[in-house]
This record gives sequence, C-alpha cells and structure tokens, in this order.
Amino acid sequence: MKQILLITDGCSNVGESPVMAAAHALQEGITVNVVGVVDYGTIGELGSREIADIAKAGGGISRIVGTPQLAQTMQMMTRKTVVQTIQLAVNKEVKKILGEGSLEELPPLQRSQVVTVVDELTETSDLRIALLIDTSASMKPKLSAVEDAIRDLALSLEAREGKSEIAVFHFPGRLSDGADLDMDWTNDVSGVRSLFSRLRMKGATPTGPAIFRVLEHYRYDTLDGYRDRRPAEDQGEGEGMIGGYVV
Amino acid sequence: MSSNPPYPAGTVVAGKWRGNRYVVERLLGRGANGTVYLVKREGRREWYALKVGYDTLDLQSEINVLTSLQSCRKRNEHRARRENPLSSFLLEADDFVDGNNVPFYVMRYVQGKPLHLFLSKNGPSWLGLVGLKLLNNIRKLHECGFVFGDLKPENVMVSDYGEAELIDFGGASPIGRSVKQFTEWHDRGFWNAGSRTGDEGYDLFAFAILCLRLLNEQGLKTAATQLPQTRNVEELLRLARTLPDKKLASWLILAIKGGFSGSEQAMQTWKEHIYTPRTAKQENIATPRWLKSAFALSLFVLAITMFWLFRL
Repeated sequence: MKQILLITDGCSNVGESPVMAAAHALQEGITVNVVGVVDYGTIGELGSREIADIAKAGGGISRIVGTPQLAQTMQMMTRKTVVQTIQLAVNKEVKKILGEGSLEELPPLQRSQVVTVVDELTETSDLRIALLIDTSASMKPKLSAVEDAIRDLALSLEAREGKSEIAVFHFPGRLSDGADLDMDWTNDVSGVRSLFSRLRMKGATPTGPAIFRVLEHYRYDTLDGYRDRRPAEDQGEGEGMIGGYVV
Repeated sequence: MSSNPPYPAGTVVAGKWRGNRYVVERLLGRGANGTVYLVKREGRREWYALKVGYDTLDLQSEINVLTSLQSCRKRNEHRARRENPLSSFLLEADDFVDGNNVPFYVMRYVQGKPLHLFLSKNGPSWLGLVGLKLLNNIRKLHECGFVFGDLKPENVMVSDYGEAELIDFGGASPIGRSVKQFTEWHDRGFWNAGSRTGDEGYDLFAFAILCLRLLNEQGLKTAATQLPQTRNVEELLRLARTLPDKKLASWLILAIKGGFSGSEQAMQTWKEHIYTPRTAKQENIATPRWLKSAFALSLFVLAITMFWLFRL
C-alpha cells in the first residue's frame, strides 16, 4: 500500500495544479491525505477548499488542525486510509462471493469474519508513506511540531507486523520547483531527528510539482527494488484477496 | 456518521437480525467507537449498556474482541469455579433498523464511578484494593491473549464497594499487534519509553501512569508538557520517587522500566507489598512483665487464701 501525506498551511501558488497531481497519484495506486496546520487564525476559504480537493482527488482524507493535535491526526488518517484501502479490496471480493454490497448489509456472522480479515490485513500488509512537508516561510514555527509528529507516526508504524516504511520530502526544493528528499525509505524511528534544521525557508508553495516529484520517487524506487521484493510478494499471495494491493 | 445527537430517553432500539427491542433510559458516555446508553430490554427489568457504533467496521472489530474474550473467559471459568454469571461481556450484536441500520451491541451494565472520581470521593487509601482488582482484570485479559491498550482512569469503573471493571474495549488488540487506541499521557511511546507494540508491559506502564495521575496529577502534567525531545522516563521515575508510599513507588518504578515479567508477577508483587489487609497489621503484643508478675502474685494470694480457708 502506498500513501502520500501532505502537510501544509495554505494555498499552492506555483506550477501545476496539486489537485491534478493528486488525481495522478490515485491513478497510480497511491492515496493522498492532506493535513492543514493552523495555529493562529484560519487557513482561508481558498486554502481549505484546496486541501479538501487534493484529498478528494487523491482518494484520501483531509483535516485542518492545530499543532497540538497534529501527531494524533496524522496517525488517525494513516490508519483510516489503510483500513479504507483494504476494505475497498475486500468488499470487492465479498461482492463477488456473496453478491451483497457493503459491509453494513452483511448478516452479523459474515460481517464478523470479513472484519477479522480486514483487521488482519490492516496489521500485516506492507505500507509505504511519503511525507511531503510544506516548508514555506509561514510553516517555520510549526516545523518542530511536524517533526515530533513524524517521529510519533514512525513509532506507531514500527509497531505494525507488516513492513512499514516512511520517506520525508520537503518543498519548495533547493534547485527545482519540486521537492527535496530529506530521508529515503526507512523503518528506523531514530532516523527522524533534526530533519529540517538546515532548511532555508522560501516563500513559494509549489504543491503540485512537489506531489509529482514524490510520484517520480515512488516509480523510480519500484523499478529499482522490483526484483528483491518479488518473492516476498508471491508468498503474500496466499491471502489471495488483495494481491494487487500489497506492494 | 459520528457525533449524531444522542437518542432521547424512551427511544426503542430494535434489532434488524434478532429482533430484540431495547428502551433507552439515558446516555452513559461516549467512547472512541460509539455512544453508550443505559437500556432495558422491553418488558424486562434488568439494566444493560448498549453501544451504538459510529462506524460499522470499527464497532465490529470491537465486537470480535469481546466475542473472543467471552469464549476465553467461559473456558477458564469452566475449569475453575464459576466466577460471576453476570460477567458476560457481550449479550448480542445487531443493527438498529429505524436508525439508518447503525450497528449496536449490548453488554452488561457496570454500575459505579470512573476510577478518578471514586478515589477523589473515597480517598486514596482505596488504591491498594482497587488497584489489585484492576490488575487482576488486566491479568485475565492478558491470559486470553489481549492487551487493553487505552488504560486510563476514565476506562475503569469502580462500584461503591471497590469492585473495579474495565469498560470500553475499543482499544484492545491481540498481544503482539500494534496498539490501536491510546491516550498520550498513558502511552509508552509518548514518553520515549518503548514501542507501541501491545505486550503485557504496555498495559503495566499505562497502569503505572494511571497511579501517578491519581496521586500527583499536577506533577505528571508538568512532566508531560515538556518539549518532546526532553520528555523521558527519568521524569516519571523522579515523580514516582517523590511518593510517600515507598513500596508503591518501587512497584511503579519497576512497571515504568518494564521490569516485570508479566502481569501475573506484577499482580503478585502488588498483592504482597501494596495491598495490605488490616488484619496483617495487628501485631502480637508481648505480655508485659508486670502483668506476668501480677498474675503470679494473684495465684500466690489465692493459694494462701485457700490454705487459710481449709485450715479453718
């Protein structure tokens, strides 16, 4: 399973539309969640609409919170999206077998069995989350909270039985309009320390190009690691149900 | 789907699959997965608690946990003596027909107060007893292969006579899995004190924080609001050391450090050192020497008296 978690505090103002970028992500099987972080005042109607639209286009969830709730929100979203993705796949299978639509319509016994499967897969399926952090000037006071939230998320992911990895990007990048990679795929919590200490803040917010940059990274990495991961995936096929969803 | 206005008293919750009808008396509380009401089955007198879920999947997941706890408890009770016939976790699960088919389940109603209110009303001297009962419940849960996860005073109900019961199993997960729900202060990960994998030590850590919170909430708050980089176990250990009860302090320190092999050992240690019944405190007072000599003297006087009497 692949996810992008975008953390921002306002509107994009450079490059391609982030909504389009998110739609591309969804097309490639990557869910996009968005957290809007606001401590003082509001995010503005334009900003909050964009945040909701990006998540909708990316098949994910959006929330607008203050820094105290950031860590909790990020975990909730991640978990919920994982469950959603699995539920979607499982529902499809259930429909094939039982001809019934959603979970809500199933009689208690079957429902209990389906949920057992969903819970099992939620815990054991492999998961990759690319965190994409807006580091435009206005985000500066919030970055330590963001970093703490990332560490907290990594801690929760580490507890899962399935392989869980995170990568961290920030945007705007140094050279291009896109995003820079701060931390490549890792499952090591201790790696999340002083990620953004050497950043120089810039004003522009190229959210769209940044999402495209992450998509590229996913694509590149999939090609690279294709051979190594193939056997493990074959074993995972024993579940049969969501082979296509397990990365 | 979440946080709908609560059902008013008198609402009849009728099941879609089993057809049982429950009459709502009042709202009991809200958990992470749903709203809990006090209900009566229509035409019956017993009270039950009925939980209406926000999300079918989340609630079903909780129901699954309760079902396996129930069957585990039944197995154990079969082997030993039957403990309490009313201890069933789950009576039935169904969907509310008229309420948009929202899922609900019915469980026993645990009467009482949340732990923190109980202790603030009755005094901290109850902690030894209530803590023991709570630890015993946690031990039984672990025996069945589950961790509670979200252990905090709000999730512990205490009856007027100190019976402690866990409520809201929404955060319970199989041992070895990641902990689903937790509360910052009570979370081992929050204090940089270990992983979020559900093991017995996770619940014991949360239990230790619960004790600290009950005895020194302000101190814990100060420690918790520090910067995440500086927040650590040492702060908690320091807090524990300031407690007047030294035996409790060393128990807490062990639990925070993850020093117990499991909840069985933790409970036994608590039982031996912290839970001290009154009778154990009554010591045998050595008979004073003056009493002994007085007794000897009175015997002597008696003998003389009798001798004097019979001589006459």
